[in-house]
Amino acid sequence: MRNEERGRWFVIPSLVLLSLVTVYPLIYVIYLSLQRRLLIFDVSRFVGIDNYVSLAGDARFLNAFKNTLYFTALSVTLELALGLAAAVLINRSFRLKGLVRAVVLIPWAIPTVVSARMWEWIYNTDFGILNHLIGAKINWLGSPFWAINAAVFMDVWKTTPFVVILLTAGLQVIPRELYQAARVDGAGRWAVFTRIVLPLLKPVILVVLIFRTLDAFRVFDAIYVLTGGGPANSTETLSIYAYKVLFQTLRFGYGSTLAVVVFLCTGAISVFYIRLLSKGVRL
Amino acid sequence: MREGTRTYAWSAAPGWMVSALLLLVLLSLLGGCVSKKEPAGDGVTTIVFKHGKIAGDPALLRRLIETFEARNPDIRVKDETLPASTDEQHQFYVINLEGKSRDFDVLSMDVIWVPEFAKTGWLRDLSHLLPEGERDEFFPGPMQAVTYRGALYAVPWYIDAGLLYYRKDLLDKYGLKPPQTWQELVKTARYVTEKEPGLYGFIWQGKQYEGLVCNVLEYFWSNGGDVLKNGKVVINSPENVEALRFMTDLIGRYGVTPRLVVTAIEEPTRHIFGSGRALFMRNWPYAWNIFQREDSPVRGKVGVSRLPSFPGKPSASTLGGWQLGVNRYSRNPEAAERFVRFLTSAEAQKTLALTIGYKPTRRSLYRDPDLIAQQPFIASLHDVFMTARPRPVTPYYMLMTQVMQSEFSAALSGTKSPEDALKSAQEQIEQMLGAE
Repeated sequence: MRNEERGRWFVIPSLVLLSLVTVYPLIYVIYLSLQRRLLIFDVSRFVGIDNYVSLAGDARFLNAFKNTLYFTALSVTLELALGLAAAVLINRSFRLKGLVRAVVLIPWAIPTVVSARMWEWIYNTDFGILNHLIGAKINWLGSPFWAINAAVFMDVWKTTPFVVILLTAGLQVIPRELYQAARVDGAGRWAVFTRIVLPLLKPVILVVLIFRTLDAFRVFDAIYVLTGGGPANSTETLSIYAYKVLFQTLRFGYGSTLAVVVFLCTGAISVFYIRLLSKGVRL
Repeated sequence: MREGTRTYAWSAAPGWMVSALLLLVLLSLLGGCVSKKEPAGDGVTTIVFKHGKIAGDPALLRRLIETFEARNPDIRVKDETLPASTDEQHQFYVINLEGKSRDFDVLSMDVIWVPEFAKTGWLRDLSHLLPEGERDEFFPGPMQAVTYRGALYAVPWYIDAGLLYYRKDLLDKYGLKPPQTWQELVKTARYVTEKEPGLYGFIWQGKQYEGLVCNVLEYFWSNGGDVLKNGKVVINSPENVEALRFMTDLIGRYGVTPRLVVTAIEEPTRHIFGSGRALFMRNWPYAWNIFQREDSPVRGKVGVSRLPSFPGKPSASTLGGWQLGVNRYSRNPEAAERFVRFLTSAEAQKTLALTIGYKPTRRSLYRDPDLIAQQPFIASLHDVFMTARPRPVTPYYMLMTQVMQSEFSAALSGTKSPEDALKSAQEQIEQMLGAE
């Protein structure tokens, strides 16, 4: 009992620090989002939920929301599928296994801004290696259709390794005996995968999904460097739009509203996954 | 595993005491971050100069600062470089000036920010720094851009304007002259690219960013159009629609501009032209020095002229360049002013022009024999800079450009017709400006 009390005291400094650096800014942003605050017009007054109401009529917001959903759904699905396949392959024993694992990590190790600049050149219509390889003259970043998919592809390339590493770790925990037992019972490869590997991997998969969905939903740096949100706002995500409203046009009230929307969405996504995680899945 | 047998000195202390101690350490650390006291005065004032990355060797600026310090022994200047992208510099200033930061005294600003920073009250009024008579020595465009409600809030430091680069050797080969009108440019480009396979006709900057607005405005203005007139939004005009349609036609109908410009900023276009793969290019003056380097494939083959215009209308270049201002919250405004005065003097501007290639804002330097000897084309730039036009001089420019960037990009990438794009831009800008 005494130890518990001591423990409580020890938690206080961290709570104070956290509330200073996260809770206070969060509350302040929410407060700002209820204001009409236009620095350049010298306007600053309370407007209640007006900013939230005007979201519905803001075509650029709806467009950014749509882009964010598309980007998140497609990139996370692809990353999980590819990551799972790669993890299962890597998990077998073969020569140079260690080397392969290290090589797989390279894209993840490159700083985002650097890899975005790299992909900007890879996608270049004229000098880019992608067009050179496929012998085409596609303007990847110049057409609204290709640009968002090019951004998804870049993200898949960069973060699949992260998924692979987490899933590999999950696979290694599965005891060999289970595979052997399944074989003895006459289960085929597919049955082993769906009946043994997937169920046992489920908690790890959910953790991967939480990380990746949240990251993808808040994506900013990679796309901002790659396209700046263009062409014609076709790659403008919620975070990029919020950044432009906040720091380029100094509309602090409305920009904060956008930030709060991103926060609420990521909060909802987290709650959804954590519910799934705590429900019925345990090793 | 039994871990609990060891005793630490603090484990005997009550929990609240340890907690309070930790809190104290934490708070004093935080306090240490906030209160940065200047070292006690020994009669020397230190000022901080914030600026973007200096093109070329940063030591060149340092040497200039040392000259200033030698002449003003009571002032020391710390120069601090901001991130290279202008958007990030803008963001830095917004956050710090809105927070009334005193951490820097002199700041360099893009030509489009001065009215905004002046209206928000972040800049010191520098009207007394330049006497009326001396203002005429500067180009009119930058002077207009640094003036807000009759007062001067910055001093023009160096100047930029859009230029037409052309391949002199190729035009000579086919007995052609640099184009005066946009239509002539199309004709010339089509003629030459037909005979020279693999050569692009005309490249410019069409990515969704500030540079796109600079490009488009040059077509608007050279067709008699405008964006803001006497405080009224006039972007949706027949002249502007025609101009924007012409730009999309450059890519589509005339085929003289490759589709890649829709993603291009300055450097990619400079690379293409610099490797000898384009006949015409719109770019800023900085490219000239690079084309003259020993290893440049186009060395000695490049000509520069003012941009073409639509028939019967005057040519127009978008004004760029950087200005120096003083932070309103500066602790040492007099020292900061003296430094601004020095860096914008004819002497300092000449040094910067000779070493880095920054184009002076003082007109007399365009007759300077040393400069002309080193950069023969500088004399011809004088006329371009004289007529270079600032983007709408208004504190609300940053609001307007966000709309323009996305609508112009929509027109160029073909998601909207020029008519729809400008109609939508007109509505959005009017709505934003009418916000309060």
